[in-house]
Amino acid sequence: MNPSLKLLLLLIVALEISFTTIVSLNVALVILAGIYLLAKRVKLRTLLWLLIVPLIPAIGLWSTQYINGTGQKELMAWVLFTRIYAFVFTGATLTLTTDVLELTDSLEQNCHLPAKFAYGVLAAYNLAPKIKHEVQVIRAAGLMRGQTLSFWSPQLYFKAILISITWSQNLAQAMASHGFVEDAPRTHYRKVRVRPVDWGLLIGGIILLQLGVFVMPWH
Amino acid sequence: MATIALEHLSYTYQTAQTPIFEHVTAKFPAHQFTLLTGPSGTGKSTLLQLMAGLLPLPADHGHICYDQTQLQNISAPDRSKRVAMMFQNPNQQFAMDTVEHELIFALENQRTDPHIIHHRLTSALDFIGIRELQHRLLNQLSGGEKQKVALAVIVAMDSDVILLDEPFASVDPDARVSLLRRLVELRDQRGKTIILADHDYAGYDQIVDHVLQITPTHQVVELSRSDWPAFFAAFQPQTLPAWFLPVPVDQPLFALHQVGLRQGQHELVRPTDLQLHAHRNTLITGANGTGKSTLFEALVRLNPYSGTINYDGHDIQKLRRKRYARHVALLFQDAEAQFFNITVAEELAQSQKYAYGDYFTPTRIQSALTQLNLAGRDEQVIYTLSEGQKKKLQILLMLIMQSPVLLMDEPLKGLDLSSIHALVKLLQTVQAATQQTLIIISHQLTGLTPLIDYHLRLADHQLQYVGEVRHES
Repeated sequence: MNPSLKLLLLLIVALEISFTTIVSLNVALVILAGIYLLAKRVKLRTLLWLLIVPLIPAIGLWSTQYINGTGQKELMAWVLFTRIYAFVFTGATLTLTTDVLELTDSLEQNCHLPAKFAYGVLAAYNLAPKIKHEVQVIRAAGLMRGQTLSFWSPQLYFKAILISITWSQNLAQAMASHGFVEDAPRTHYRKVRVRPVDWGLLIGGIILLQLGVFVMPWH
Repeated sequence: MATIALEHLSYTYQTAQTPIFEHVTAKFPAHQFTLLTGPSGTGKSTLLQLMAGLLPLPADHGHICYDQTQLQNISAPDRSKRVAMMFQNPNQQFAMDTVEHELIFALENQRTDPHIIHHRLTSALDFIGIRELQHRLLNQLSGGEKQKVALAVIVAMDSDVILLDEPFASVDPDARVSLLRRLVELRDQRGKTIILADHDYAGYDQIVDHVLQITPTHQVVELSRSDWPAFFAAFQPQTLPAWFLPVPVDQPLFALHQVGLRQGQHELVRPTDLQLHAHRNTLITGANGTGKSTLFEALVRLNPYSGTINYDGHDIQKLRRKRYARHVALLFQDAEAQFFNITVAEELAQSQKYAYGDYFTPTRIQSALTQLNLAGRDEQVIYTLSEGQKKKLQILLMLIMQSPVLLMDEPLKGLDLSSIHALVKLLQTVQAATQQTLIIISHQLTGLTPLIDYHLRLADHQLQYVGEVRHES
């Protein structure tokens, strides 16, 4: 499916389940997303992690609601529990099966997002492993001067911001030197198209969602 | 195709008072290779950035002309066909993840017809001889490979003028030779104009057509051919005094057992056994990009390595980070990495507060500041110090800490000779009293040699001591 339309569909799904209290809908979404992920050959191990990791916040929400909630306590507890999983699984259908570059291409070509924004985000994403190392360097440099910088220490962030300012300037220069000019037209080597089937999937998905919300809800 | 002329160019940084260039008039002839020289901090990078249009030149500050056209009149999308730049830091010149994607990105920016992009990118990779890197992740390439990719991008973009800002700072000698050969081919076969800034001039006299110098009076002047021999002779490799080889001991400070270092898929140091000795000063030399800084990062656990490193008999991976950092500290190459406060006084106070030893009393700190010509700057914001002042302050801060071992990565970089002498004298005085162990990576050896006891050399992926065997008398 076209990455931009996929993102749009997922945003609509997320928005709609945030305002509904239908357990069956959440469960159906998790199952559908699970089937999609399996069809896309996502590793079983990864799926298992998707089940385990949200368990902590899910149980947290469930128990809070069950113990302290008002009104239909038990229903709301299960709604919140399944909603977390619905968010995680539908989100995973984008993050685990769509390449960031593909999404960037699509946002630039189909949604006409400014190229500056699209490539800026992409460049930042590609710098992520370096940022991780840089944070280690800052913390080590701190220890060598007798200062323990924890993850909530303002000095860690002050240093990180100083470094990112330098990096962003260098990166902007590098992009300019590789011919990138803000708002100038570019050609596209990798063409991303919106095919009729993409529109069909988007509209079909939205209709299916409304069926789940209004026609056969099981609370 | 493109002769570049600077006409009455003046430039001053916003934060600085003194100008970098004052009414400079100079010419870079087309189809020729020009070496741009000058000590670090004289404005080589700034000049190249101005010439590439990456730094805007204010009005009434002169002109930069490509043939007869002023740079600011060349429309931004056409600039990359006129001029491209290769940067010093190979890690910060790519926006994409793989080699292929970066080349496509650059070609798309030039509005190249998508049908010929594939051909352009493969022929550029073939020209540089790095077709096998096409699908590799940029993050996993060595410094030399990254610079080759950067040059391939420039070849693909087919820019008339190629500017290179100290491009070999993290490139190993083999890759440097191969890059220089490609640049000569670009000049001879494709008529490119090449302007390269470097502070290490070794090997250029056979290649370049012109040498331009940035002078202390903020001018750019051409060095006449007759002055070349004297100029290049001054940069022949220095002969080092022959130090003695260390005698192996049972309890060395560091014991490296089959330690190997890699950068992505590139082997830097072959697995090796080595001892480093306490209360002695060891100098580590080796060409750019051979892995000296990576070795230091491994010693302070910032970089993975194979084999085991023992400090004082203990595997460093099993020591607590906090405790180990108090024993073995690293003076980073980038001085700013070591600053955590705003003013000089705050930094000094922090080091005193956490110091490991009590050698540095307030009086001694004050005299060290005077010695390093840093006195009276207590309330100055550290980020407004000059690069040389930052370096000196950084070294003093780390000395005050009095960690038993201090690894120093290029401690003399960017310092003038009088600062170097003052610094070495301070190091000698401190060391006589505290028995601190120093391990030093340095290209700059003038003035440093009196401090050194042993010499480790990293070459051909081998790390070994060089020197004479000490005979028992």
